[in-house]
Amino acid sequence: MFAYILRRLWQMLPTMAGVVLLVFLLFNWVGGDPAYILAGKMSNPEAIANIRKQLGIDQPYPVQLWIFVKQIVSFDFGTAWSTGEPVSHILATRLGPSLTVLVPLTILETAFGIALALAVAFVRGSLTDRAVMVVCTIGMSISILVYIIVFQYELAYKLGLFPVQGWGEHFAENLLRYSTLPILIGLAVSIAPTLRLFRSFVLDEVNQDYVRTARAKGLSEGRVMWVHVLRNAAIPIITYVMSNLPALLIGAFLLERFFGIPGIGREVILAVERSDFPVIKAITVYVAAATMVFNLLTDLLYQAVDPRVQLK
Amino acid sequence: MRAWLAGMALLLALQGALAAPPKVLRYVIPAAETGFDPATARDLYSAHILQAVFDTLYTYDYLARPAALRPQAAAALPEIAADGRTYTIRLKHGILFTPDPAFGGRRRELSAADFVYSWKRLSDPRLASPHSWLFDGKIERFEVVDPYTLRIRLTHTDFNFGMVLAHEGTSAVAREVVERYGDAKGEVAGHPVGSGYYMLTDWVRGNRIVLTRNPWHLPEVWDFQPSADPDDQRIVAQMRGKAIPQIDRIEVAVMVEDQSRWLSFQSGETDLFWLDGPLAPKALVNGQLRPELARRGVQLSRQIDPETTWYYWNMEDPVLGGFSKERIALRRAIAMAHNVDEEIALVWNGQAQRLDYPIPPGVVGHDPNWRSINQYDPALANQLLDRYGYRKGRDGWRTTPDGKPLVIHYVSRAESNGVLQAEVWRKTYNALGIHMENERMIFADLLAAEKQCKVATRNGQWLADYPDGDNFMQLYYGPNTHQNNFGCYADPEYDRLYQASQQLPPGPQRAALYHKMTRRLEAMGAIKMGYARWRNMLAQPSVLGYKKHPILKQEWAWIDVDQSRLSK
Repeated sequence: MFAYILRRLWQMLPTMAGVVLLVFLLFNWVGGDPAYILAGKMSNPEAIANIRKQLGIDQPYPVQLWIFVKQIVSFDFGTAWSTGEPVSHILATRLGPSLTVLVPLTILETAFGIALALAVAFVRGSLTDRAVMVVCTIGMSISILVYIIVFQYELAYKLGLFPVQGWGEHFAENLLRYSTLPILIGLAVSIAPTLRLFRSFVLDEVNQDYVRTARAKGLSEGRVMWVHVLRNAAIPIITYVMSNLPALLIGAFLLERFFGIPGIGREVILAVERSDFPVIKAITVYVAAATMVFNLLTDLLYQAVDPRVQLK
Repeated sequence: MRAWLAGMALLLALQGALAAPPKVLRYVIPAAETGFDPATARDLYSAHILQAVFDTLYTYDYLARPAALRPQAAAALPEIAADGRTYTIRLKHGILFTPDPAFGGRRRELSAADFVYSWKRLSDPRLASPHSWLFDGKIERFEVVDPYTLRIRLTHTDFNFGMVLAHEGTSAVAREVVERYGDAKGEVAGHPVGSGYYMLTDWVRGNRIVLTRNPWHLPEVWDFQPSADPDDQRIVAQMRGKAIPQIDRIEVAVMVEDQSRWLSFQSGETDLFWLDGPLAPKALVNGQLRPELARRGVQLSRQIDPETTWYYWNMEDPVLGGFSKERIALRRAIAMAHNVDEEIALVWNGQAQRLDYPIPPGVVGHDPNWRSINQYDPALANQLLDRYGYRKGRDGWRTTPDGKPLVIHYVSRAESNGVLQAEVWRKTYNALGIHMENERMIFADLLAAEKQCKVATRNGQWLADYPDGDNFMQLYYGPNTHQNNFGCYADPEYDRLYQASQQLPPGPQRAALYHKMTRRLEAMGAIKMGYARWRNMLAQPSVLGYKKHPILKQEWAWIDVDQSRLSK
């Protein structure tokens, strides 16, 4: 086990190197030169050259790349070019609001997805099952923008059930007042594809021999589904949930923009708009690292859930 | 520290207002701020906060139109020598910076040396200030005569220099604050300490900015004189004699999405906001408030922004540039074929006013009677092209006089307005039989290309830094190529006239020069003036005394809120 973990950690290095190279090349190719924006309206070539020197982007590309590597190793990406705010402070302060929305959303999405998938699998092949699938297909065909605009207009503005937008100073206020509508929207958007996916996982197990055996032994359908089927369907469900966890680190762009949530997703969009490379670099590297770590955790969890799985 | 300041300020405000609850104004900005160092803040929305927190020597009279300078930290308008090169300025006594640990527990008075220190920061290469142009090449020396008197000696005559001293980039900061809180470059973006009407007491970056009234500000009374605008009488009646500022707390929220801003105002969560182009049809019909909003008591303050959008053709472009008769004819034909009113209707929902003159309304030097010689006339434009050898081929597309395909590369921004503008221009070029290709760029790339004279043609935009025509006529000045002369227009005759105009104060002589310069631009087909956009501000019924100022970023210090009429 220990050797397996070491090997996987070691394998992360070339992957991270690829990520670093890719983001560096992409930014320098399509990212835009921030010096012209930072120089302001009345800039001249000398001012722009000075800014490029201040930012270090007048250096040869290999030097800039080496600086990038050193920043990753030291966990210090410096300050944002557009605001002067330390990148570490940006990540530390913006992650909280994003997680305030996304963690409850993930928990609710998973719980509802599993429960509904089992319920629908219970009546598989029936009119109810087919109707639910049709509704899910329709729900998946609607853009998240439509959900946001309609929910914000109807539930927040027209009915006054939630604030139109905003973010408070306290966790409880943010969770219970300002995050409720964004979570509701996120749930409405994600429940359809999640339900369809989990249903397929469950149905894969329902026709297995062990299920027939359990029924033959006289177990109730509920026990068969919740105890036996769910346990085996849990592996792909775990894969799905764990693979989505790194996405928590990049926030929900649209929800944060529309509802004024000072999260990491909105910060990413700002950084791209401003060609703020230190912020883009830091977030890309952290998300890549988190993805690799969560993949490793997923594999380890496999073995915990299903002892038959062997990690080699 | 901010919490302590907020507490002290609130306590003092409450003491002064007996048992009255604090007056709060909720404002919204459509883009995130960047920081609050006057030397480095480069965006419009950070400038809102700078204007509230810091003092400049001068500001603008709230009601006067066109905009007129008014003393702020200065005791009076500057004493200008007859040669227009020496400015002597005396400060008010007793202006204090808000308390901060940087001052070691003592009261810190604003002095002339603070202004000189702040201005010199603009040319610090470490800060790479976007406002260095305010003084670059203009200053022979700054002189601190005494703690309340400073003298500025300019390198050349400039009767408009006072307006430079009203720009928020010239705000006074304290050396002690910079030394204590400055980063490695000496920038203090996150800890603004000023002497203005308000203090920053809460800040969640990119989300919320809270300002509290500065209780240590020198007492002032609202005493502006009404302009010719009849609505000023209402404002004067609501505000005259009141202490400045009336509002105790400003809560600024960042809302990027149009729907969020609109619904926030509609639901009463916002008191005052800018109704920009895409939202205008929701609230306005033919420039008037919709009846349902008017019935609710919503107020509209509307004015033409001191800005211009114009169309330029790069004088260094191999297809469009140069001063030959054929090229001049080509540019003038394109100018005559473009329907500006159609662009205004399609791209801006009618929220703009066509311009003929390069200086917009509300800016000193504007001529409302000017008429361009390149009026919309597509038939004449086609005849002009025929006459100068731009013949149509069998495929209907024109060629150059030497028979090569004539292709114009129109550059636009990649977002929706840019795409719309490009399509409007495609219609223009199609009407002429000229093949147009649209190149879309992100903003940073577009800026870079423009400053390198690599953009063949596009719409230029300029918002006034100060309300004087010079700020607009310099856009076509040859030595400003690779800066903000986007069309890279280098015309010795124009440059000569511009240099002569700089020696004159605003008046008939300078206006005559501006007329010649404008006619020159039109005759050479260097540019075509487009339009200036309407700025529509909506205010809740509870907001008193509001009128949008053409130059000031916000008017918070000069308005009031009627607590009894609050929506929420």
